[in-house]
Amino acid sequence: MAKTKLNFAEELKKYGAEDFEACYNCGNCSAICNLTNKDDSFPRELIRFSVLGLKQELKGSIKPWLCYYCGECSTKCPRQAFPGELMMAIRRWQISTYDWTGLSGILYKKTFAYIIAFILTIAMVLGISEYLNLTHEKIMHYGHLFEMFAIGGVFTFILLPNIIRMWYWSIYKHNIKFNFMHYFKALGELFTHMFTQKRTLSCEDTQENKIWWFEHMILVLGYLALLFTTVFLDWFGSKNMIVVYFGYIVSAVVFIVTFDFVIRRIRKSSEKTTFTHPSDWFFVIWLFLMGISAFVVRLFIDLNLLENSFFIYYFHLIVLVQWAIIIVPFGKWSHFLYRSFAMYFDKILKIK
Amino acid sequence: MKERIGVYICHCGGNISDYVDVKQISELVKEEKGVIISKDVMFACADSNQVDMINDIKENKLDSIVVASCSPKLHLHTFRNVAERAGINQYNYVQVNIREQCSWPHSDKPKEATVKAIGLIRAGINRVAFSESLEDIEIKTQKAVIVIGAGVAGMKAAIELSRTGNDVYLIEKDYFVGGRVASSNKVFMSDQNGKDIVAQLYKEIKKQNNITLFTATEIEKVSGSLGNFNVDIKITARYIAQNYDTALLQAAIEECNIFVPDEFNYGFSERKAIYKNYPEALPDVPVVDIKAIKKDLGFTEKYSKCFNLTQESQLLSLQAGAIIVTTGFDNYQPKEGEYEYKNIANIITLPELKRLIELNNGKLIFKNKAINKVTFIYCVGSCQTEGENKYCSRFCCTAAIHTSLQLKEKYKDIKAMHLYREIRTYGKQEILYEKSSKQGDIYIKFDEATPPLIEQKENNLLVKVKDILTNNIELELETDLVVLVTGMIPRANSLETGKKLKIPTGTDRFYNEIHPKLKPVETVIKGVYIGGACQGPKNITESVQSSLSAAAKVNALIKSGSIMLEPIIARINHDSCLWCGKCEEVCEYDALKQSEINGKMVAVVNKASCTGCGICAPVCPSDSIELIQYTNNEIEAMINGFTKKIELKEQEEVEAVLEEKTAIGMKEFPDIWKKIAASITEEAKTIPQISKELGVKNDVITYNIMTMNKYSIVDAEGIDDMDEYYFYKLKN
Repeated sequence: MAKTKLNFAEELKKYGAEDFEACYNCGNCSAICNLTNKDDSFPRELIRFSVLGLKQELKGSIKPWLCYYCGECSTKCPRQAFPGELMMAIRRWQISTYDWTGLSGILYKKTFAYIIAFILTIAMVLGISEYLNLTHEKIMHYGHLFEMFAIGGVFTFILLPNIIRMWYWSIYKHNIKFNFMHYFKALGELFTHMFTQKRTLSCEDTQENKIWWFEHMILVLGYLALLFTTVFLDWFGSKNMIVVYFGYIVSAVVFIVTFDFVIRRIRKSSEKTTFTHPSDWFFVIWLFLMGISAFVVRLFIDLNLLENSFFIYYFHLIVLVQWAIIIVPFGKWSHFLYRSFAMYFDKILKIK
Repeated sequence: MKERIGVYICHCGGNISDYVDVKQISELVKEEKGVIISKDVMFACADSNQVDMINDIKENKLDSIVVASCSPKLHLHTFRNVAERAGINQYNYVQVNIREQCSWPHSDKPKEATVKAIGLIRAGINRVAFSESLEDIEIKTQKAVIVIGAGVAGMKAAIELSRTGNDVYLIEKDYFVGGRVASSNKVFMSDQNGKDIVAQLYKEIKKQNNITLFTATEIEKVSGSLGNFNVDIKITARYIAQNYDTALLQAAIEECNIFVPDEFNYGFSERKAIYKNYPEALPDVPVVDIKAIKKDLGFTEKYSKCFNLTQESQLLSLQAGAIIVTTGFDNYQPKEGEYEYKNIANIITLPELKRLIELNNGKLIFKNKAINKVTFIYCVGSCQTEGENKYCSRFCCTAAIHTSLQLKEKYKDIKAMHLYREIRTYGKQEILYEKSSKQGDIYIKFDEATPPLIEQKENNLLVKVKDILTNNIELELETDLVVLVTGMIPRANSLETGKKLKIPTGTDRFYNEIHPKLKPVETVIKGVYIGGACQGPKNITESVQSSLSAAAKVNALIKSGSIMLEPIIARINHDSCLWCGKCEEVCEYDALKQSEINGKMVAVVNKASCTGCGICAPVCPSDSIELIQYTNNEIEAMINGFTKKIELKEQEEVEAVLEEKTAIGMKEFPDIWKKIAASITEEAKTIPQISKELGVKNDVITYNIMTMNKYSIVDAEGIDDMDEYYFYKLKN
C-alpha cells in the first residue's frame, strides 16, 4: 500500500520542476528515450511517482540518475510537461534527501541562502587573514593547506556519509543480499562512468550531444588535473616549468569550456539548457571564475605582479573556498559523484 | 388492368450492360402480355431519354411504364415525374432494380445475372399491369405545436417555432422552467450561470405572443395523429389566489415560519412552505407546499387573501399538428451501498456537489467539516459492462472536471483527485482537462474490475485504488469528500410518457429515433419528434442542437397548413371486414380503429398515421386488408412473372452490345460527347487540343473526357512531350 503525498508537486517545483502535472500519461517520453528499457522505465513512471507524491518509491529509485538529459522527451512532450527538467529536479531533490546535514535542500530551494553562504565565506576568509595579520606568503601557504584539508574533510564528513545513505535507500532497503564479489565486479562501472560519462553517447544521437559530451569530458579531466596540479604539485609555488605550463593548460581548459557552457545557458540553445536553476548558474560561473583566477594568479606570479596586486589572489581564494565548502558538497558538483555511484549501484543490482 | 405497357431497359453506360444482356432482354419482353414497346437505352435517366419516353407514351397511348435500371432510391421520383409529364398517373410506374440487384452483385456470372434480370423485369411488368391510379393523401394540419418539457432544449424549440409563425404550447411538469440547467451554477464551456441562461430564454418566451406556457402540467392522454393531435393535460394547483396582492404575498413569505427540507438542494438546506426553487426561479410566482402550510392554520388564516387552498387541478385539451418531446433526463442515483453511498457520510453525487458549491461561499463545508481534499469517482452508473447502463453518459467527465476547476477557483486551496476509467472530454472540452491537470488535479485510472474501495478512517475517508498508470500500485488516498460522478438515465416516468405518445425506447431505455444519422429527431410516429437528452445522454449544446433540428423539421412539416402523404397504406374491404380487432392490436401506429359504416362495425384506417408497414394484412382472418401497391393481385402476378420459364439465347451478341456502346451518334450521348468522339475517332488528342478544336473550355472537356473514360468510351494513350497531358482516343 503506497502512501501518497498530495502537495509533493509543489515541493518538486521548488527544485526546478516545471509544469509536469500537465502530463496525461501518453508515454511518449518513455518511448522516445534511448536510455530507458523494460527494466528501467522512465521518465513516465517517475512522473507518476512525482504527481502522486510517492516519496518512498522516489527516494529509493536510482532511475533518475540513469537519465543524462538530452531533452528529447521534453521536445516531444505533447503537453509541454517538460519530463527532462522534472528528472533533473528529482535528482536535486534526491541529493537533498541523501544529504544528512539538510543544507542541500535549503540551498536548492532558496537562492538567498546561497548568497548568504557566499557572503559568510567572504567574511570568513577576509576576517581570518585580517585577524591573524598574515603576510601574503602565509596566506598563500594556508590557502594551499586549506585545499588539502577541504578535499579530505568534505569527502569524509559529508559526501561519504551521504553516499552511504544513498546506498541504504536504493540497495539495502530493497532487501538485496550483500555479496562482496558483486560489489567488486561492479567497481569498474564506477570509474568508467566517473571519468567518461559515456552513457551520454547513448542518448539521442545528435552532433550537438556528441560535442557536449566531449566538452564535458574534457572539463572533468581538466578540472581533476587542475585539482591535482594545485594541491599536490603546488602549482603556485612550483619552479618546475613542466608543472607550470601544465597548470596553465588545464586551468585554461576549465575556464574556456565553462565559458562555453555559460554562453549555451544564456542562449538557451538546446532543450538541456532551456531551464537553468540557480544552482546550475552558480556551478558553471564559479568553475569559470576558479579556472580564470587560478590562471591569472599564476600569470601574475610569473610576471612578478602578484605582490602589488594581491587582491587577485584574495579573489581566487574566496572563489575556491566557496567552491569547496558550498558547491562541492551541497551543490551541483555532487551530481558528478552521485551519478557515478548510481551507475555502480545499478550494476550491483543487475548482477545475477 | 393496364394493357398498354412501355418497358425501358437501361445500360447505365455499361454498369448494367457489361454483365446483363440488355439487348436480348429487351427483345424477350416484347412478347410479354400488354407490352407495347420495349427499348434498351444507354442512360434512362438522361434528359433526352426522358423526352423520348414522354413522346413514346403519348404516341402509343401507353397507360403504364416499367423502367429497369438502378435502385428506386435513386430515380423513383425521376420516372414518376416522367409519367406525370406524359399525362399518366405516377403510381402506374414500376421501377425494377437490375443494377444493384443483378449486374453489380453478379458480375462474375453474367448469364445468371441476365436470367435474374429477366425474372425481375417480368415481375415488374406483371405488377404494373395491376397498378392503380392513386392520388396523394392531403392532411390538413393545425398550425400549433406541443412541446413537452420546458428545459433549455424545449424552450429553444418553442422560441424557434414561435418565431417561424406557429402557435406553441410549452408544457412543463415542474412549477418552474429550466429543468436541469436551472440547478447548475456554471455550465461548461461558456462558464455562464445556468440560471442566467434560463432567465434569458424565459424572457424571450414572454416576448413571443404565440407561446402558451403551462407549468406544473402533465400529459394525461394523447389521441389523434399527424396534423391533428389531441392532447389532454392536467395542471396541478399552485394554491396561490388568482388575483393576489404582491406586497401581501411578500409579507406572508417573510413571516412564514414553517420549514421543510429543500429537495431542490437535495436536503442540504431548508425552504419555507411558500417557496420558489431558487430566488430567481421563473415564472415569478411562488408555490404553496400544501402539506406543510397546514401545520400553521393561524398563519394561513392571517394571509388567506393570498392563498386559495381549495384550488383543484385543472384539465385542458389542446390541439396541435405536431409534438416535440424534450423531457430530458434523470441523474443516476447510486444504489444504497454502491461505493458506500449513504453507508458512510461524506459521500455525495456530482449534482449534489454542484448544489453544495452554490450554497457554500468562502469555504466548502459539509456536515460541519471543512473540505480540503475531494476525490471524484467516475463512471458511476455509466459504462457498466455487466450492469443496466452500458452506455457512456458523455457529459459527466467534462462536468466533473469543470466542477473541479470551479472548486479551485472558488475555494483556492482544494486538492482534487479524479479516479477515472477513461477521460472523454471530446472536442473543445479537452481544454478543460488540460487546465485541470495543469492546476494540479491528480488523475488516477482504475479498472472496472477493481473499483476503488472507500473506508472511514477516524474523521477522514480513505480511498484505496489500484492505479493502472503506475504499475497497478495500490494507492491510499486520504480525502474529506468523495464525489460520485453519476451519469444520465431516462426520466423515471419516461416509459409512461412514451406509452402515451407511442414512441418506442431503445435498449438504453431512452427514446429512439428512426435512424441515428439520417433521421435523428424523427420517431416512428409521424408528427412526433424528440429533442434533447430524452433521446440519450447529451450536453447542453447537443441538446439544443437536436431540439432546434426537431423544431425546423416540424416547422417545415406544418407550415403550409397541409401535408401530402404517399397513398401507399392499408385498405380495408368493408364488405368482408367483421371487426375482430386483431389489426388494431398489431398496429404500432394506432392507425386502425373500430367504426360503424352502414350499420356495421368495421375497421377504419387513419390515413395520416398509417405508414404502410403492412403488418395488419396477414393477421386479418377474413383477408379484408390489403396494402395498396402490394395487393394480392400484384404480389401473385409478380411471382408468376418471376417464375416464368426463361429460354435464353447464347450470348453472342455481347460484342454487338459493345459495338453499339462505342458507336458514335447514339442519341443518349450528350452533344458534347458526340463532338468529342468525332474529334478523336481518327487520331488521339490531348484535352487542350480537343478544347481548342471544339472551342469549348478546358475544364468542360476534362470533365466530359473523364466521364467517358469511366464508361470505357475513350482510352488514354500515352503522354505528351511535356509529360503534362494524356492523349485520348475513342475505344474500338
